[in-house]
Formats: sequence, structure tokens, C-alpha cells
Amino acid sequence: MAEQLAPIKALLEAPRDHLAGTDMWIKLPLGRTLINEVLAARPPDTPVKDLFMDPDPGNLIHIHLEAAAPVVGSIRRRLTFKPGPAVTFPDQPWLHLDITEGFKFMDKPVIRLLQSTIEKKLPKGIEFSSDYLRIHVPAMLTKAGYQKLVPLIRHLEIRGGDDQIILLFHLKA
Amino acid sequence: MHPVQKHLMDTEFSGLEGTRFEGTIALSDELINLGILEALAKLKSAGQPNTTETTAPKVAVQGPSESSEPSVDPKALLQKLNVDKLRYRTEDGKTMVDIKLNFG
Repeated sequence: MAEQLAPIKALLEAPRDHLAGTDMWIKLPLGRTLINEVLAARPPDTPVKDLFMDPDPGNLIHIHLEAAAPVVGSIRRRLTFKPGPAVTFPDQPWLHLDITEGFKFMDKPVIRLLQSTIEKKLPKGIEFSSDYLRIHVPAMLTKAGYQKLVPLIRHLEIRGGDDQIILLFHLKA
Repeated sequence: MHPVQKHLMDTEFSGLEGTRFEGTIALSDELINLGILEALAKLKSAGQPNTTETTAPKVAVQGPSESSEPSVDPKALLQKLNVDKLRYRTEDGKTMVDIKLNFG
């Protein structure tokens, strides 16, 4: 990892001191083609053969998934995710997405295989089931070396949009 | 270069259009004195291709996989930045910047 510049290092070590008085709202839309590039950049040796996002004008996110598991073979599903409540600290650390439709009862082996792949390939703090996907935001930031930024995030919300996913942040120090 | 970085550069960051910042950023005097503004300027120029041959062997020893990868050029980002408000003030040992800007 590249060595951090001294002021950046100081900022990350004591962000509440160095940014005291900061109060900022950030709206970050991520376009569908950009998200599909991110999904396509997944590790090659996973049971997921195909993965891409579909637009939705409402507050929903559709993901097309093709995965292969022993015995059941290959399945194709269009999963619909509904964003949950905003992340707020310390009470609500999870970025939560309900899976409202897509998986079928017989998909359990595939879900178990995906769970085990997430455990092996991704940092701790990502939970996946037939009903939801949720990400523990403090764990992710800690893993990335930004643990002390966690208390600055007063609000983090994910929304579905027309051809995009929108992230809404409120940072306050 | 990571494919996502490449996509961002190839599409001139169009996948991030509609980004908005609104509020106040406060920076402590200590951070200013440490050179945070110079550090940010350095990050801004980080996207410039490095043509100096003399630095190549050093980088290769530390990490060959990173030696020839240009990073995202922030200038392409700045070209699409629309600034509605940018006001500096200083108080109580810190610099406050009130900003309202969008990208796209």
C-alpha cells in the first residue's frame, strides 16, 4: 500500500479533531453501466457465472444472477432488492437490502454456496440469505483502515433509481 | 489498471453524473499547517503520466504490479464540476469552507 501523505495520515488518525465543524450532505449516484462494470470485476473463480443490474424507476434494485451449484446445476434468477432503513451510528450499522423476490425454495444449495463464497472471498461483515443482503458499514470501513471515520457518518442511505443506484451520505464532525 | 478505473476514465466519469455536495467542510489549522492543501494538490496531479525513467527501477523493486499503472486523472473530474457556492472563512483555529457543487 502506498505511504500516506502526512496530513492525510493525521486526518485519518483523528478525523473528529481535524474536521470538527464539518457538516456535509453528499448525494452519489452510480450509473447502471458503472455498477455493471463493478459487478463484472468480481473474482473469476466463484460460482457466479453472470451478474448484472437492471434499472428500475422506483426504489428497487434488480440484479440478474446466474450461478452454478453441485447437484442442482446452473440457475438464473432476477432478484429484486428493496433498500432498508438508513445507516445511523451507533444504533443502525447495517446497510440493509431486503430480497423481495427472486429466489425459490429449491435454491437453498445455491444460496449456501454463495454464502460460503462471500465468507471466503469478501471481508467479514457481509451477510447474505434468501431474504436479505446486508453490509456492516463499520466493519467495512475498519477493514479498509478508516475506522475512525465511522462516527462521522450520521446517515447513509441506498436508493434504487432510474438506471442508477443513489447513495446519500450525511457526514458531521 | 483496474477495469472499473478504466471504465470511469473511458466514459469521462459519466457514471457519477448527478453527484452533489452541499454543506461545510472544516479543516483544523494543524491540518492546514501540515500541508493538507498541498497534499490535495499532489493528489490532483497524481494522474499525470510519469515519464521520468529514473524512478522506474525503484518502483519495480517495491512492487512490479503497480509500476506502470496510471491512476485516475482528477482533471477529467474537475472539468465536469459545477460550483454554485464556495466561501472560505476562518474561526477558532480552523478554516471553514461552505460549498455547494454538483458533478455532471
